[in-house]
Amino acid sequence: MLKGKLKFIIAISVIALTVSYLVYGGVKDTMVYYLTVEELKAQVPTVYDSRVRVSGTVVPGTIIKDTDGSIVFQITDGAQMVDVAYEGIIPDIFADDVEAVVEGVYAKNNVFEADILLAKCPTKYESTDSLYENKETSY
Amino acid sequence: MVETGSISIFLAFIISIYVLAASIYGAKTRKWDFVKSAENGAIAVLFLLVIATIALVYSLINLDFSLKYVALNTSTDLAMIYRFTSLWAGQAGSLLLWCLVLSVYTAIVVLQSRNKDRQLMPYVLATLATVSIFFIGIITFVESPFEKLPFTPQEGRGLNPILQNAYMAIHPLTLYFGYVGVTVPFAFGMGALLSGKLGDEWIRYSRKWALFAWTFLSIGLLLGARWAYLELGWGGYWAWDPVENAAFMPWLAATAFIHSVMIQEKKGMLKKWNMSLIIITFFLSIFGTFITRSGIISSVHSFAQSDIGPLFLGFIAFILLFSFAMFLYRMNDLETENKFDSILSRESAFIFNNLLFLGAAFAVFLGTIFPILSEAVTGNKILVGPPYFNRVNVPIALVLIFLMGVGPLISWRKASFKNLVKNFLYPILLGIITVIVLLALGIKDTVALISFALCAFVTGTVFTEFFRGTRVRIKRGENFLLAFMRLVSRNKRRYGGYIVHIGIVLIVIGVTASSVFVTEKQSTLARGESMELRNYSLRFDGLKQYTTDAKNATIANLTLFEGGKEIDIISPEKNIYKYEGNREINQETEVALRSTYKDDLYIILSSFNEDGSATIRVMINPLVNWIWAGGTVLLLGAIVTMWPSGRKSRQEAFVRYTVSDHDAPVKAS
Repeated sequence: MLKGKLKFIIAISVIALTVSYLVYGGVKDTMVYYLTVEELKAQVPTVYDSRVRVSGTVVPGTIIKDTDGSIVFQITDGAQMVDVAYEGIIPDIFADDVEAVVEGVYAKNNVFEADILLAKCPTKYESTDSLYENKETSY
Repeated sequence: MVETGSISIFLAFIISIYVLAASIYGAKTRKWDFVKSAENGAIAVLFLLVIATIALVYSLINLDFSLKYVALNTSTDLAMIYRFTSLWAGQAGSLLLWCLVLSVYTAIVVLQSRNKDRQLMPYVLATLATVSIFFIGIITFVESPFEKLPFTPQEGRGLNPILQNAYMAIHPLTLYFGYVGVTVPFAFGMGALLSGKLGDEWIRYSRKWALFAWTFLSIGLLLGARWAYLELGWGGYWAWDPVENAAFMPWLAATAFIHSVMIQEKKGMLKKWNMSLIIITFFLSIFGTFITRSGIISSVHSFAQSDIGPLFLGFIAFILLFSFAMFLYRMNDLETENKFDSILSRESAFIFNNLLFLGAAFAVFLGTIFPILSEAVTGNKILVGPPYFNRVNVPIALVLIFLMGVGPLISWRKASFKNLVKNFLYPILLGIITVIVLLALGIKDTVALISFALCAFVTGTVFTEFFRGTRVRIKRGENFLLAFMRLVSRNKRRYGGYIVHIGIVLIVIGVTASSVFVTEKQSTLARGESMELRNYSLRFDGLKQYTTDAKNATIANLTLFEGGKEIDIISPEKNIYKYEGNREINQETEVALRSTYKDDLYIILSSFNEDGSATIRVMINPLVNWIWAGGTVLLLGAIVTMWPSGRKSRQEAFVRYTVSDHDAPVKAS
């Protein structure tokens, strides 16, 4: 009986340890720091060549699309700016003034080479601001 | 209409409080009249919420922009069908729908179990009422769908164009049926804990409801994946986004639960485990609603952000503390009736299945909340992305597929070597043959080989079961079709379950192929130029522009050749929606998809230039259709499993094996 119980305890431990190891290894190898523009600039010598994610607002007028589908633009936290180069699918809502999230490597020439680009709406989704623009036209 | 709506939800809130109080008071004092009036109260709540929903739908359809919810989610150019589906496009409407679905379920529970299980039911009702009070309270006092604007705008903001899609119209609805459905088995669990009636009743009711909720969660997840695939335009269907994980976690826990309840039914074991599981499943379902609704974890498709977050957290804390305190209080009454005999048995296969599902749920949970966790602990926001989730979940999934083949065939209690050979020799051979054939075809990816081999193994075991059962009946003189039909209809739970497993196998095949063997290419083409990919060639025939009431569309005309032969015309679009002043999102990329059971050609118009050239991105995603086909099979199997039995008495009678009956047959109930 004890032998049978022991087998179960061993089997369950093996499963638990394996899952924990997978979680540990997964986190260790794939984790990415999420930085603001300011934090990125502050970590400048050490941050080069390591994979990070940065968010900031797209500076109006800086988006330049190339005919091969790649783009360059700048993001800002209000004070500092970062040049970003990206090639891939551009989200539909990506435009001037939206909050962009980029993931990739900050290269030594101070251009952020992104391979992931996400975009969020400029205002909160449930904001009523845009309705007020129409206020004058009502009644 | 607006006043009707807000009065209705307010009354529903008050009556829910009455339902809670009356059912507990009635049960404690054995004054069954109070329980009865609580039951009637639950029906009244349903009627009130139906009225409130009708009021909101009426306002949405008639575009009453004086309502904030209507003004934010519709516009005059919105098609009728999407005015209706705007009911669940925004926060307040979704929460109203949550309440409505819960009240429908509560009413069904009440009507099904009137005058039955008198000790248990009042507490079940009380639990359901508590959850209702929380959600109805939110829409009454915090996020009312009937909130008025201080003025009436002439035009609404309009519905996000990516939500204007048939899948998006039904996907949230399906998911809600699942999310809310989890509340019912949880209520039965809590009812059992509160009343002390910890026998088979709660498990029997819970199992059916859990299966129901699980089916809707599965279908909801698949519809969401399909929506993302068609609409988000990056060529994939699953990104491990927090909102996706939010629905995936309760699904994982519910899957563990619907398997482990079988062990309790058949053997009287795992009682504590099942109780904990249903609490965890409900927690994950509320947590999922919380993630989706609060926007606390930034997500690409977090459609709502608001300050109901702290309320949800408080409610979650209350649920967890209260449930586990009750659990500890009743712990001694949840004693197991049987012991585990051998590690090579069906019982232990189920245990391992459960551990792995819970392990996966934990890993997904950790990955989802990692940014918050790491910020709290280290001060740095650290993300773990899709690579983390894949690394952890792929090995777990592979072992689970293996167990899916083992579980149904291995003997209860203790499997002998003879039993193992008899049941598993052919399926294992089938797996090995699959690997050899695939290697010969030039497939070298290890994960894909293992996955396909396991799928063949599972298919082998399921067909063995169907074959054996049918053969026995044919020997009794039935023809093949009749034998097969009767086999399934006499044992719906078992064979329905096998059909669900086949659905899962199809999904796994599709997911494996489409994640391992993707081909991708992007080119900028001038008119008349072509791009080649695998066996396909695409010729760009120029751009075309057209205008409708709602949008300005640009189409790229492409002709598709396969092996030099013209087979199709393909036209991906890029749309600019009008009414720019009102909308924050006005661009939409419409993917062109050419889908067959062999592969999907996924074509995106990335951008177009003034000189008439266009940048086209093409992906070949093999076997994606198998995923959706698997979903259909899964649904079919689930329906077979849940189909009401004509012969009630037989289904209700459990065959429970105890240690004394030694040579118990493998087949049960």
